[in-house]
Amino acid sequence: MKRHSRQGGGIERQKARWGWGFVLPALVFFGLFSFYPIFNALYMSFFKKNLLSLAPPQFIGIGNYAFLFRSPEFWNSLKASAIFTACTFSLLVGVSLLLAVFIVSRKHIQKLMQMAFFSPAVVSSVVAASVWLLIFDPRGLGNQVVNAILQTPGVDHRWLASATMLRLSTVLVYFWKYVGYFTIIYIAGLSSIPRTLHEAARIDGASSWQDFWYVTFPLLKPTTLLVSVVSMIQCLRTFSTQYVFTQAGAPRGPIDVITLSIYNTAIRDHQIGRASALSIILFGIMLLLSWGQFRISRSEDVSYL
Amino acid sequence: MGRLRLGCLCVLGLVVALAVPTFGVELVFWTHEDPNRTAIEEQYIAEFESMYPDVTIRRVTYPSAEIAQVILTAFAARRGPDIFNMETEDEYPYIVNRRVAPVDPAAAGYADLQAIYDDYLAGTLDAVTADGKLYGLPLELTNWCIYLNKKYFREVGLDPETDYPKTWEEMVSVSEKLAIRDGEILQRRGFDFRYPYYLVSLLPMVEQLGGSFLSEDGKTAIINDAAWLEVLTYMQEWGPNGNNLGSPTYTNARKLFNKDNNDVAMCLSGLYQIGRIRADNQEFYDSGEWMVVPFPVFEDAVNDYRCNYYGHYYMVNAESSSENQEWAWKFIAFMLSHSEEYLVECGLVQPKNSLLASEAYLSFPYSDVFATDMAKSKMVMLHEANPRFDELLKEAVESVMLTGLTPQQALDTLRRKANEILQEG
Repeated sequence: MKRHSRQGGGIERQKARWGWGFVLPALVFFGLFSFYPIFNALYMSFFKKNLLSLAPPQFIGIGNYAFLFRSPEFWNSLKASAIFTACTFSLLVGVSLLLAVFIVSRKHIQKLMQMAFFSPAVVSSVVAASVWLLIFDPRGLGNQVVNAILQTPGVDHRWLASATMLRLSTVLVYFWKYVGYFTIIYIAGLSSIPRTLHEAARIDGASSWQDFWYVTFPLLKPTTLLVSVVSMIQCLRTFSTQYVFTQAGAPRGPIDVITLSIYNTAIRDHQIGRASALSIILFGIMLLLSWGQFRISRSEDVSYL
Repeated sequence: MGRLRLGCLCVLGLVVALAVPTFGVELVFWTHEDPNRTAIEEQYIAEFESMYPDVTIRRVTYPSAEIAQVILTAFAARRGPDIFNMETEDEYPYIVNRRVAPVDPAAAGYADLQAIYDDYLAGTLDAVTADGKLYGLPLELTNWCIYLNKKYFREVGLDPETDYPKTWEEMVSVSEKLAIRDGEILQRRGFDFRYPYYLVSLLPMVEQLGGSFLSEDGKTAIINDAAWLEVLTYMQEWGPNGNNLGSPTYTNARKLFNKDNNDVAMCLSGLYQIGRIRADNQEFYDSGEWMVVPFPVFEDAVNDYRCNYYGHYYMVNAESSSENQEWAWKFIAFMLSHSEEYLVECGLVQPKNSLLASEAYLSFPYSDVFATDMAKSKMVMLHEANPRFDELLKEAVESVMLTGLTPQQALDTLRRKANEILQEG
């Protein structure tokens, strides 16, 4: 018995070694390009350092954090990020689910619709923002289309000029770019639900809505959790759209999200320590919100029995 | 086993090839995009390399709007190029932080430092002089005047030779006549500002009215509220919430001017714009339906200041090897010895005394307009925090034009933030 268990333990250890061997390159890569920058940013956030200066960083403890929490610009960035995230996240999760249900119900043009909705996701964020910039030009397609629909010729809807429209414009661009991506995830989730459950529900007299609400939606919980966590993190990480728009003349205040503030603090102000502190705060917010989502969903393994 | 040995040999060969030091000098040269200048500088590189076969020069261009960030990132990583140029206000922090090398007079072909100063118009090297050392040589010194399309003026019954706007108040009335609107949407603008270069073009408007960004001792920001409020109110009335004559959200006027597409009648630009008109639209250039007029002045101005001038100076990385630095200055001086060609091909004015007295400069279209304006203008404000100050001006102007803030609110915010930056030191 002991010899058998020693042999079994030896095989298990050998398997584990091979497992580590295969996983190690990815761990090293992840450690180098993800963990190291995070720890480096945390370390740098306690120092005052000018990006151009060759002088060594000056330790200031929590000075950067204290400055940020006293700064009206920081709170404006938090507000801008919160507004953007709340609007875009709600739209992404809700609309992508509805789109997925709609696409799955269309037998003949499923693939075409999936491709059509997913294609913006493969376009670079900068390219997407640049294209929408042309649309939002006062003489661009945005005003032309809306005015044609609303029969309001000559009205400038100030897509990039007024605070509210500017926020709406950034939400619209982000939504357009990523709704297809999350729709595909939901389609995969919907496809994993056994058809027999829907058939059983129909046999029991459930309507389409009842089938969706009592069968489909609860079984989609793990997928919904994935979509909500990923979309929230994506929304908090938004940068390119806001950057391109502000470079093109849009006012910065309404869309000065935290990532844009990090960029300006580092590149424009040369304050790399303060920028690191901002990035650590953003990291903390993402961690907290993700943890909160996991807690709220209290996702258990979904069983179809 | 044979394949394994072959594979190891290949890897070893690659490592040896990469590790073997290359002979000769390689200079990395980063500059902003300008198709006219690229053509002549590529030629200079070829000539220099044939004169000095051990020297290789790699020229890389970046969009004007991006080069400051690219160079900053490179220098932050201590991987900056050997030679680079940016606008003066972006280059100044590099001098303050000692990231650039002083000019080597001997390498640049001068007897001594004084000979360099003697070669250039007095005062034009002050922006790159610190602690008795010179840190750059000018590629160009530029001020902006108003380009106008004569055809559009005549369309609305104006004589471009006499009815061009001489004051900012006239700019409003003339632009109103020239503007074509479809409801609220401007199909053709009469004029629009050079957003977001506010240190260059907006600050002189404030200074015309007696205001300034910094006090004489440089310790206080925003001087003379009345001047600032008048300019901010002017911009508010210019924008979509006022007379709707223009906005930062429209395509930049100078990018549309050359197309002669009924998009804009006037724009603000430098002498180099002439070369770009010729390159972009030869027909428009040859038609003579464009002209240049001076930068306007407020009716109640107390100072006759015109648009600030700025420069692009070629600089050398202080962390490049001493050999690279020497060759860099030699190459820069070689390029800049073709100042007439820079003028004729690119419209760039290097403030060398010899060029300013030359027939090429004196006969260059509208050089007199630019020269007259430059004599009444000043170098753009130089401060280590210039990029931040420029951003604050952008925020102030856009907040009154677009987000409904009053000029007083915008000014209070501008003052607070600018003084915070000064206190940070």
